[in-house]
Amino acid sequence: MIINLRVWLKIPDAEAATVKNTLLRRMGYQGIIRDVRRERLLSIESDDVSDPDSLIKQLTRELVNENKENFAVSVGSLELSNGCVPVKVSLWIEDGEAISIKDRLVKRLGLKMIRSVQRANIWKLYIDGDDPESVARRIAEELLVNPNKDRYEIIKLG
Amino acid sequence: MRIAVIQFPGTNCEHETLVAVKECGMDGEIFRWNRPEQELCEFDGYVIPGGFSYQDRVRAGVIASKEPVMATLREEAANGKPIIGICNGFQILVESGILPFGDGVRLALAQNVMIRGGEIVRRGYYCAWTMLRHDAEERRCSGSYILRRGEILSIPIAHAEGNLVSSDKKVIERLIEDDQIVFRYCSERGDIISEFPVNVNGSTENIAGICNPEGNVLGMMPHPERAFFAWQLPWKHPRVRGYGPGRIVFESMRRYIEERRL
Amino acid sequence: MKVIGLADSELESSLRKAGIGMSVSEARSIATILGRDPTLAELFCYDAMWSEHCSYKSSRAVLREFLPTEGPNVVLGPVEDSGIVSIDDEWCVVISHESHNHPSQILPNEGAATGIGGIVRDVNCMGARVVATADPLRFGDPYGRESSRVRWVAEGVVDGIWQYGNALGVPVIAGDVVFSRCFDYNCLVNVVAIGVVRRDEIIRSRAPPGSGEKGYDVILVGKPTDSSGFGGVVFASDTLREEEEEANRGAVQIPDPFLKNVLFKANEDLFRLVREEGVEIGFKDLGGGGLTCASSEMGAAGGYGMELDLDMLHVAGEFPPEVLCIAETQERFLIIAPRELRERILRIYNEDWDLPNVYEGARASVIGRMTIHDRYIVRHRGEEVVNVPIKHLTGGIRYERAWRPRIRNLLEPAVKMPEDLNMVMLELLSSPNIASREHIYRYYDTEVQGNTVIRPGEADAGLIAPVRGKDFGIALSVDSNPFYGRISPYWGGATAVAEAMRNVAAIGATPSTLTDCLNFGNPEKPEAFWEFRESVRGLADAARNLWLKGYPDQPVPIVSGNVSFYNESPEGAVDPSPVIACVGIMKEISKAITMPLKESGDEVYLLGPRFDELGGSEYYRVIWGITGANVPVVRFPLERSMIYTVIDAVDREILRAAHDISNGGMAITAAEMCMLSDHGISIDISSLGDMRPDRLLFSESSGFIVEVVDGAEQEFVKIARSYNLNPVRIGRVSTGGIEIERDGKMLVRLDLEDARDAWSSGLREAMR
Repeated sequence: MIINLRVWLKIPDAEAATVKNTLLRRMGYQGIIRDVRRERLLSIESDDVSDPDSLIKQLTRELVNENKENFAVSVGSLELSNGCVPVKVSLWIEDGEAISIKDRLVKRLGLKMIRSVQRANIWKLYIDGDDPESVARRIAEELLVNPNKDRYEIIKLG
Repeated sequence: MRIAVIQFPGTNCEHETLVAVKECGMDGEIFRWNRPEQELCEFDGYVIPGGFSYQDRVRAGVIASKEPVMATLREEAANGKPIIGICNGFQILVESGILPFGDGVRLALAQNVMIRGGEIVRRGYYCAWTMLRHDAEERRCSGSYILRRGEILSIPIAHAEGNLVSSDKKVIERLIEDDQIVFRYCSERGDIISEFPVNVNGSTENIAGICNPEGNVLGMMPHPERAFFAWQLPWKHPRVRGYGPGRIVFESMRRYIEERRL
Repeated sequence: MKVIGLADSELESSLRKAGIGMSVSEARSIATILGRDPTLAELFCYDAMWSEHCSYKSSRAVLREFLPTEGPNVVLGPVEDSGIVSIDDEWCVVISHESHNHPSQILPNEGAATGIGGIVRDVNCMGARVVATADPLRFGDPYGRESSRVRWVAEGVVDGIWQYGNALGVPVIAGDVVFSRCFDYNCLVNVVAIGVVRRDEIIRSRAPPGSGEKGYDVILVGKPTDSSGFGGVVFASDTLREEEEEANRGAVQIPDPFLKNVLFKANEDLFRLVREEGVEIGFKDLGGGGLTCASSEMGAAGGYGMELDLDMLHVAGEFPPEVLCIAETQERFLIIAPRELRERILRIYNEDWDLPNVYEGARASVIGRMTIHDRYIVRHRGEEVVNVPIKHLTGGIRYERAWRPRIRNLLEPAVKMPEDLNMVMLELLSSPNIASREHIYRYYDTEVQGNTVIRPGEADAGLIAPVRGKDFGIALSVDSNPFYGRISPYWGGATAVAEAMRNVAAIGATPSTLTDCLNFGNPEKPEAFWEFRESVRGLADAARNLWLKGYPDQPVPIVSGNVSFYNESPEGAVDPSPVIACVGIMKEISKAITMPLKESGDEVYLLGPRFDELGGSEYYRVIWGITGANVPVVRFPLERSMIYTVIDAVDREILRAAHDISNGGMAITAAEMCMLSDHGISIDISSLGDMRPDRLLFSESSGFIVEVVDGAEQEFVKIARSYNLNPVRIGRVSTGGIEIERDGKMLVRLDLEDARDAWSSGLREAMR
């Protein structure tokens, strides 16, 4: 099964604020971009376990810093709220940090059922206008992604 | 001869870089990012120093690359003025597309991965003195103008993202063919070994620094301003007065500007 | 809030329910002084100001009794955020030393980063340029009962330090790491920062003279105030219990090195403005106790009152007044300045350095004014929420804590002579407490600012040359050995001072000042308070008796420090850990020397006789699993002579390498001098008396091993003799491995590669 753990900051997200500021002040998106939010996504592939809830609890305890972060978990599908265009950005080159997270879970915490960990950023772009998806693609390619290491996809909302 | 040392929010090497510029007999000043960018045109050359511009948000260098001063620098690069980007400055030049070919983002400086014996032995930030081999022809590049091919320098690195990669193999091939690879990480004897610790960050072809096709723009991860004086060098070097190997980068810039004027 | 007329039990429960940590009697004394029930905001302000962290209520009497804080080189003793000592007639070094222990145990990354963030503000706010930091760290046993958590904490702390310090652009030039079971539930994360300032450009953290009469502005600069760290000060003084960890997480602050980097540059412009205008301002960073602490302390120090309006504060949301008063939002400073500078100061922060666009909501705001009355008044939504006598608020309270010796019944064991000393050597070299620190310091930017002369790993102390055009350098080292403190808190304190001073002397620098960060258990327990008192007594005796070189009978002054109590879990307190930092002045950086051996054939000398002092040694602990009782002591005249000899010999340029003897004794000290070098060492200990070889080689009695320049041996011996020392020639730098013999019998013969493998893997494995 795939456990999707979405994590976002409770405190102001300086990185999202910088992206919004750059789009508005430097890249000509005034009147187009209303807001930018960011989540990090960890997609954790695990063998089926008898008590998934307790595994999820263990994972969130280890991977979420509740002092500053909120989170949501879904198994299988990725559930995102409407109103924005979510752009998922991940590395296509080897992701050292994802490997470290997996090592930590398997070796230090003994969670032998974990098979892989994938990491991504989800940029939630709140866009005004007719064709938000093509605006989102433009923003991804102009700012959010360096194609020499990153890839992106626009997540379709259900 | 006036040099602008560009300062973005989060830059942290501007003062020692300015010291190096001045010590080589050039005038210079720190140029804050929100000054009117037209004022930049009055300078004869530019250094984009190291640091964490915009705290590496999104990825190192990309936010700074959108600042108006970078559009001006792109024009000045086209005018043939020298630009040296060090560490974060290199990252900014790559993200702005000025390096390697001036036609878009053709490279990335990804997270360091230290590989030995086929295994990843470490990742991320690393601060250490490295050996660099100058791989370009003499007078090929503004920042190594007076260095001969094959000369070896000891200069420190300090970065988390210096692993140069491209999604297009041809980009690397073109860099090699056009003699745009200026510095490579090497052993003390000058050998290019693809494994850590010689290849300190996993960079393709051990690349530590590259120039544009015209040679006036240099980007390099190592910090020559930290190897400028002999007393800055590690313990093995005798503690003498005088200069260190990093001086030649700034001295080169001066000579480049002087000769271009003739 | 109702205080007057409530029974003790009712008052107790209403205080706790409100989240206020003060005692019932403290609350009553406040009501008595005010002559009415205090407001909720007032109680929170008092609670923060009277916390252990802000008021030193348990420790102050002991510190006053023992610590030498004055000396001919002291410019500012421990009265403000940092201490200041002079380097020459023009330049001064500014130093501050703090702990961030409790937050780092809960949230290692943010906790450690906030520690750096706070300490560099302390130094910067004196008008100084921050030029270096050092990080003394203590973690639990990486192979013990809590290995997973210990490693999580250690990794997070190191990440927090580099992520913050590197981005800010301040090099780490010193530090140490000790692993011990006693830190399993209470890591210690201490941070030291140093800065440089011209003597006539020092800025004080107090309301300047005349500021009340002229109604100076009170200006808050930096991040918008939020609720982060609410209750942080009280939290830093509480014993941690595991079930409370989750709840406690709300007390940790979120630092931002990027905003700090920009703020520092803006501050430089502020300092320049003030210099050019020739006016005095008050300037202070906001740390523990937030706005209330910084503002009231500055007002009280200048003898004035102040009136603040919370509605003028830039904030990150809606918060009640008590939160705005004491929240520990990071990256903020407070300025008290004449009104005529107002527009120019606001422009520096809000326009030139564009704070609002650098960090959402950050800026400089005028939030109040100075007055000549003696009240600390805060308004919120037009209402007066705080109105208290300012000196009463900042004066704090004092406790006379009881003390009683802790009886440990430690005995000196009878251990066998090991059959194979090579194995002992390899085991010691790979001990996480001795092994190479490279795994950690490669994460730190040791080179930024371009001032670094000697970097971590190269010598016992780091050295920077922070003022271009000047020949002098500043050396920095830190030390504390919890294993000694466990046996004798007195000698634990004294040896920490002696070793920190030896460390800077080993590169040739002259010890100039000390700081102490005192990490102990719960001071309400008499045994813990005794340990604290004994350690302070020991370190003070050492500082007094080791003398400032050139000034006989004058102490090496202690100009800054910090007390961290309650480093205790239900499993017990940490071993007494008075962490000492020593600043040394190197007159000419070109003369400084490092640890690795340089030239084969050079003779190697031992300074410092060997005593049977293996209590708390790595040898006892690693090889035999015991503590022992014969802790190393400091023989003050001997120690002083050794330190002076090395300083003089380096100044005469007759030493090529030096290393002080500490963990692992003289054998490990000698081996360490080979680790980075291409050379080996051949030692003969036949002339060192008849102590059993293992005791002789691994006793941690203080001393130095030095490599003398070929041909200068007589001169070196002469210098040592002038200090009544008898240095012993013990061997030579060789082209081979590490060899130790006695009376023709080889005791140790190690291949350099084997030794290096053991030494370079120990810490990496412990932190994997």
